[in-house]
Amino acid sequence: VTDEPNPLVEGLRLRRRPDPCLLVIFGASGDLTSKKLMPALYSLALRRLLPEKFGIVGAARSEESDDGFRDRMKKAVQEFARDPFKEEIWDELAAGMRYVTLDIADEDGEDRLAMTLAELDKERGTMGNRVYYFAVPPSAIGTLVEEIAERRTDEGWLRLVIEKPFGHDLDSARELNAKLKEHFSENEVFRIDHYLGKETVQNMLALRFSNGIFEPIWNRQFIDHVQITVAESIGIEGRAGYYEQAGAIRDIFQNHLLQLVAITAMEPPIDFTADSVRNEKLKVLKAMHTPGPKHVVRGQYGPGFVEGVEVRGYREEEGVAPGSMTETFVAAKLFVDNWRWADTPFYVRMGKRLARRETTIAIQFKRAPHPPFDDQGEGLRPNVLLIHVQPNEGVSLEIGAKVPGQGMTIRTVHMDFLYGGAFREGLPDAYERLILDAMLGDATLFTRSDEIEEQWAIVDAIVAFWRRDHPSFPNYAAGTWGPSASDELLARDSRSWRRH
Amino acid sequence: MSSWPATADRGGAINTATPIETNWSGPDVTIAQIERELARLRDETSQQGSQPNLRTSVMTLIAWVPPKWQVAAEETLAGMAERHPSRTLLLVPRSDAEDRLDARLSLRCFPIGDRAICGEVIELELRGKRAVAPASIVEPLLITDLPVFCRWRGQPPFGSEELAQMVGVTDRLIVDSEEWEELRYAELTEVFDSVAVSDIAWRRTESWRFELAKHWPAIREQEVEVRGPRAEATLLRAWLCARLRRELPQIEIAKKVTVRLDGEEVPTPRPLYETPSDLLSAELDQFAHDPIYEEAVRTAAGS
Repeated sequence: VTDEPNPLVEGLRLRRRPDPCLLVIFGASGDLTSKKLMPALYSLALRRLLPEKFGIVGAARSEESDDGFRDRMKKAVQEFARDPFKEEIWDELAAGMRYVTLDIADEDGEDRLAMTLAELDKERGTMGNRVYYFAVPPSAIGTLVEEIAERRTDEGWLRLVIEKPFGHDLDSARELNAKLKEHFSENEVFRIDHYLGKETVQNMLALRFSNGIFEPIWNRQFIDHVQITVAESIGIEGRAGYYEQAGAIRDIFQNHLLQLVAITAMEPPIDFTADSVRNEKLKVLKAMHTPGPKHVVRGQYGPGFVEGVEVRGYREEEGVAPGSMTETFVAAKLFVDNWRWADTPFYVRMGKRLARRETTIAIQFKRAPHPPFDDQGEGLRPNVLLIHVQPNEGVSLEIGAKVPGQGMTIRTVHMDFLYGGAFREGLPDAYERLILDAMLGDATLFTRSDEIEEQWAIVDAIVAFWRRDHPSFPNYAAGTWGPSASDELLARDSRSWRRH
Repeated sequence: MSSWPATADRGGAINTATPIETNWSGPDVTIAQIERELARLRDETSQQGSQPNLRTSVMTLIAWVPPKWQVAAEETLAGMAERHPSRTLLLVPRSDAEDRLDARLSLRCFPIGDRAICGEVIELELRGKRAVAPASIVEPLLITDLPVFCRWRGQPPFGSEELAQMVGVTDRLIVDSEEWEELRYAELTEVFDSVAVSDIAWRRTESWRFELAKHWPAIREQEVEVRGPRAEATLLRAWLCARLRRELPQIEIAKKVTVRLDGEEVPTPRPLYETPSDLLSAELDQFAHDPIYEEAVRTAAGS
C-alpha cells in the first residue's frame, strides 16, 4: 500500500466506470424494462461502461425462469436497442442475469430475492453494492422500500432509482418522500425524469452557460416570451388504467414540462454538481406563480386523422370510461416571478394525438426596434432560438437575411446546428445516461425531493380549480394542435403559437 | 494516380438512406475554380424547392499522402466522413511530375430528416513545384476558425520546407511512427513547440497503458519486459521508464505487444479501437498537447 499517486493513470482518458454492483429491477415484466432499461444496459455493456463485476436481477409478480427472463430480454434488446446485436456482448450480460418472482405482499418472495442477491454477490464479486430500480406504480414503492430498509446490511452501498410518477399529488409525494427519508439519505434516492437524461436538454445548459453571447440576452429585456411544446402524435397506447388517473397534467406537465421550464429559466449554477444545479432549478419552481383558471386550457382528443390514418377519440380507447373527463392536452401561460423573468410569459403546451411528435423550446426575442426596411413579403419576424429536444435534435436560430437581388427584401432563414450533423456518433438514450449516473452516484440529472414537491404544489392548484368546471370534451380532433382555446390563450396577448 | 479529366458525376436523389456522393474532377485547376465547383456541387445536392443542405464542419482535416499510402489513406478517410463532418484536403505530392495542380472534389451528403448534412473532400495532386509550397495551396481552403488537423502518412521529411509549412498551418499533426522507416523521435520532439502532435502508434498502446496502470504500485519494483511492434513497444517502454522513473530492459521486436511483469505475462487487454478509422477518429477528438505522450517520445529519443 502506498500513498503515492499512481503516475501511470496520469493522462489516461479514464472513463466513468461504476463500482461493481447488482441492479435489481422491480417491474421486470413491464414495457419499460424491455423497451428502455434492457436496451440501455446492452448499449452500456457494448461500450464497456458497466462495471466489470455486474449482475441484473429482474423481479416481478409473473412466474418466469431465469432462462425465460434472459430469452425475453434478448428479444427485447434485438428489437429495441439502438446498437447492432452482438452475441458475445449479450452473453456476457446474460451470464449475470437472474429472475425472481416477487409479490410485494409476499415475505417469501423477499427471502428469495435476498438469497439470489447473496448468491450473485459471491458469484460476480459485487460486494453488496445495490441499485434498486422501481419500474412499478407509486402504490407499490412504499412496501418495497420498507422491505429493502429492513434487510439492509452494512455491506456495500445502496441506491434507489424511482420512476415517475412520483406520487399522484402533493400529499402522496410528501408521504413517499417522508418514507424514503425515514430509511435513506437524499443522496441514495434518484427520482428519474428521463427528459433530463436527453442530450438536448443537457445541451440547453451547455448552450446557456458555455456561450458568452446568450447569457447577457437571456432575460426579460431581450426575450419577448418562451414557448415550450411537448407534443406526441401517439395516443395512450393501451395504458388507459394509468392515463385515466394521471391525465396530461400528471403524465407530462408535472415532471417533464416543469423541468424544461426550470432549465430554461434557471440562474447559472456555481458548478455542475448535483446540489448546485438542483438549487437553481428549485428557485425557479418556487418563483413560478400558480396560473389562474384563465391561463390554463385543457383538452381531450376526439376522433381524427394522424399521419393519414383514421384514429379513434380518447373516450373510444380501450379501458377509457365513455364519459371520461381526463385531459389529454394542457396549455398554460406561466410566469417566473424573479428579477430575470418578471412579466415574461412562458407558454407551454403538451398533449397526445397532436399533429406530430415534437418537443421544442422556442425562445422568442423582441423585435428589432426600428428596422429601416419596407415590410415586404412575409414581414420582418423576431429572432427565435429554437431548441429541438426531439426529434432532429439540435438548435436553430431564426434570423432575417436579405433575399438576393434588387431591392431590400428580408426573409427569415434558419441557422441550424443539428446533432446528427456535427456529431454523428449517435445520441445515447436518456436511460443509458441516467442508469449509469445512478450507478456512479451522480444525482445531477435526477429530481430532488423539494423540486418534486414544488412541482406537485403547482399541479394541485390547477387541478383544484379544474374540479369546479366541466368542459365540453372532446374538444379537439386527433391530429390537430389542440383545442381552439389554446390558440386564444396566446391570441389574447397578440401572440400565436409557432408555426409548424 | 494519373491526372483527372474534367467531368461531373452526379449522385441520385437526396432522400435515400445511404449517403449521396457527387463528384467533380479537373486537371490544372485554380483555387477559385475549386471553390466555384464546390458551390455548384452543393447546389446540385439540394432538391429543387427544398431547404438547402447543411454544410456542417467541425474541423479541416488535411491528409498528406505520398502516392504509396494513397489507397490506405482513402480507406481510412472513407470511415471518417460520417463521424467528423469536415472539409478534408487530401494532398498527394508528386514532385517528379510537371508543374500543376489537379483536383478531384466530392461532396458526401447524409440524409437527416428532410435535410442532408454534407461534408467535402478535396483531393489535390500537387505536381512538380506545387508540392514545394503546400501551405499556399492549403491556406485559402481552410475553414475559418475551425481546428486544423494534419495526418502525415509515412515518415515526415523532418527539416524539410514542406513539413515546416504544413506544421505552420496546422493545430495538430498526426503521425503513425509504425509507418516510419526509422524511429526518428528526436527530430519529432523538435516540432513539439510549434504544434500539438499525436502518434497513432501511441494510441494503439492505450489499452496496455490502462492495463498496466492497474498494476500500480507493485509495478514500481517489478521486472518489466516489453515486446511488440517496434514503435508501439518503444513508446510503451519509454512511457513506463518516464512514469516509473527508472530504466527498463530494451524492447524485443514482436508482432503484437506483450508485457511480462516479474516474468509473468500480463493478459492482453481488449483493444480499444477496432479499425484505422477508429484510431484516427480518437486523435481527432483531442485538441491540446499531450504532455504524457511528449514525455514518452522525449524518453524514447534519449534512449
